[in-house]
Amino acid sequence: MGTGTAVAPRAIGEPAVVRWILIVTALCFLGLFLVVPLAAIFVQALEKGIGVYLVSLHEADALAAIRLTLLTAAIAVPLNLVFGVAAAWAIAKFEFVGKSVLITLIDLPFAVSPVISGLIYVLLFGLQGWLGPWLAAQDIKIIFAVPGIVLATIFVTFPFIARELIPLMQAQGTEEEQAARVLGASGWQMFFRVTLPNIKWGLLYGVILCNARAMGEFGAVSVVSGHIRGLTNTMPLHVEILYNEYNFVAAFAVASLLAMLALVTLAAKSAVEWRVARQLRAAQSAGPEEGRKS
Amino acid sequence: MSIEVRKITKTFGSFVALNDVSLHVASGELVALLGPSGSGKTTLLRIIAGLEETDAGSGPILFHDEDVAGIDVRDRRVGFVFQHYALFRHMTVFENVAFGLRVRPRRVRPSRAAIREKVQQLLKLVQMDFMADRYPSQLSGGQRQRVALARALAVEPKVLLLDEPFGALDAKVRRELRRWLRRLHEEIQVTIVFVTHDQDEALELADRVVVMNQGKVEQIGSPDEVFHEPASEFVVNFLGHVNVFQGRLESGRLHFSGLTMDAPPRHGGSGAVRVFVRPHDWMVETRANGAPSLKATVCQINAAGPHARLRLITEYGEWIDVDMSHDRYHELALYTGAAVFLVPRDIKLFLDGSNGFAAYQAAREQMQRDARHLSPAGP
Repeated sequence: MGTGTAVAPRAIGEPAVVRWILIVTALCFLGLFLVVPLAAIFVQALEKGIGVYLVSLHEADALAAIRLTLLTAAIAVPLNLVFGVAAAWAIAKFEFVGKSVLITLIDLPFAVSPVISGLIYVLLFGLQGWLGPWLAAQDIKIIFAVPGIVLATIFVTFPFIARELIPLMQAQGTEEEQAARVLGASGWQMFFRVTLPNIKWGLLYGVILCNARAMGEFGAVSVVSGHIRGLTNTMPLHVEILYNEYNFVAAFAVASLLAMLALVTLAAKSAVEWRVARQLRAAQSAGPEEGRKS
Repeated sequence: MSIEVRKITKTFGSFVALNDVSLHVASGELVALLGPSGSGKTTLLRIIAGLEETDAGSGPILFHDEDVAGIDVRDRRVGFVFQHYALFRHMTVFENVAFGLRVRPRRVRPSRAAIREKVQQLLKLVQMDFMADRYPSQLSGGQRQRVALARALAVEPKVLLLDEPFGALDAKVRRELRRWLRRLHEEIQVTIVFVTHDQDEALELADRVVVMNQGKVEQIGSPDEVFHEPASEFVVNFLGHVNVFQGRLESGRLHFSGLTMDAPPRHGGSGAVRVFVRPHDWMVETRANGAPSLKATVCQINAAGPHARLRLITEYGEWIDVDMSHDRYHELALYTGAAVFLVPRDIKLFLDGSNGFAAYQAAREQMQRDARHLSPAGP
């Protein structure tokens, strides 16, 4: 953090013209490819007035999709929270065999196309899959049902929290935890009183990103969902169905909810980032003799 | 409370951090573990604290004759001050010090008021009571160090272990804190073991010094003993600057660098020896006075500081560093290029093949490196 705060000295700075060309190019690009489409969503959604907009959100299938999306996120995010903290803790604070394999595995969902992620679950739990016949015999439905959607979402959002915490916890080291142990703290006391307060902002940041992805995921969920209206449609899937039916207003109305989620996420993310940066600055500006140790 | 470790061995992978180390610290003693980095001193301290486990086959770790090897770190009741203090960065100074009391099980936890009183008393002891509401990031290095000490003392430890307690501080703060720690030790009478790589710190502060090298104890003794009667070449080399010569011992006579003299007592036998003379252990004359002496030429003079420091070169091309008082320096009216006669006042001898050879070679190479940076200025 903190890069780019220093202004380049005159001698090596670019002439004003070049600077302006660069800035204008960047802004035009952003406007054309990000701001205009985003605005278009809201324009389309409200094309036939606010009344139609609200009605299309009130429709039973839309409400079902919103409920399912919230449910999925409500399961996937806490699970990934626990997993992310556990994995980051293990990786940052201990040495063990297979550590690098674990780090690579955590990154796997980033490397693999979401569609493949969905297919993996179909191969495992689908009727023709490895566990399919057994599951069918037990009358457990995973693929084309809510459990499949939740599983696929968990898989895709797996790395967000762990990835956020690993570098943070590695940088903080283990000395404070050791100090807590020497002072007589139990494992839980150490975690809740020392470790958690130290990582809370990074953790929140990871949760925000994880949540955004959990609600917005399309590819993996699309493969396992089966697109059953009112039952296995999440918001992104519902948008697609409506759009394919030329029901543009309804499609964009639901899409506008997702867009708003994105905006809220960005705002929350910026707030957290600002908070973290301020904390870091406060830490750096203090310590008159030697600054921060880590 | 006394501490004893017997025949401790600790390896990290293929690296041997401690090799069959035994140590006894009497109750109320202030002991320094002194050695270069990688000598195992911090590992030994962490083993005593319970932050590391010894290898299988190691002997016991005794606190007051009770084996604590199986006791978890949180139940050992040691105070540990980390090299970088490891203060809890999200807690105020007050909360940091109170931590050890707050995490106690409910039935042995002091009341809120008792904790407050205890913490304030400790902060007063370390002269930090006016900073109770600050966060660690708002403190200077020396202040952090004192908070870390207060935090360690809050649990009323039976032993206090300090890892490089003054390592990250500047020279002036270091000296102040050293004296302060000495006074504190007299006040609270707790057994203290501290790790340092700074020989001045160890010699000034400790009742006894444990000199360590490559996972082994080289010597244990009072500061006087280790300085004046070093048990090995390593100890001589590590405790301050020293001039090293290659010499020969023949039936009680010592030859080195063109000088022949009686060997110091207790050195019979013959063979190749290495001779160590500290810079302040030379008598310098401008005229030969009959005593066996070594001829050298003054190459460099640095008269700023508590002593005049001279760098000389012998006829055989060996560099010698000499310290002398300013009075003596003015009396001799030395200048670059002057020829002088050197008589060693005190020398240490070690026969070839005795321990510490690697350390000797390192010192030798260092001297040669130094020599290359300087070219003789005189004729």
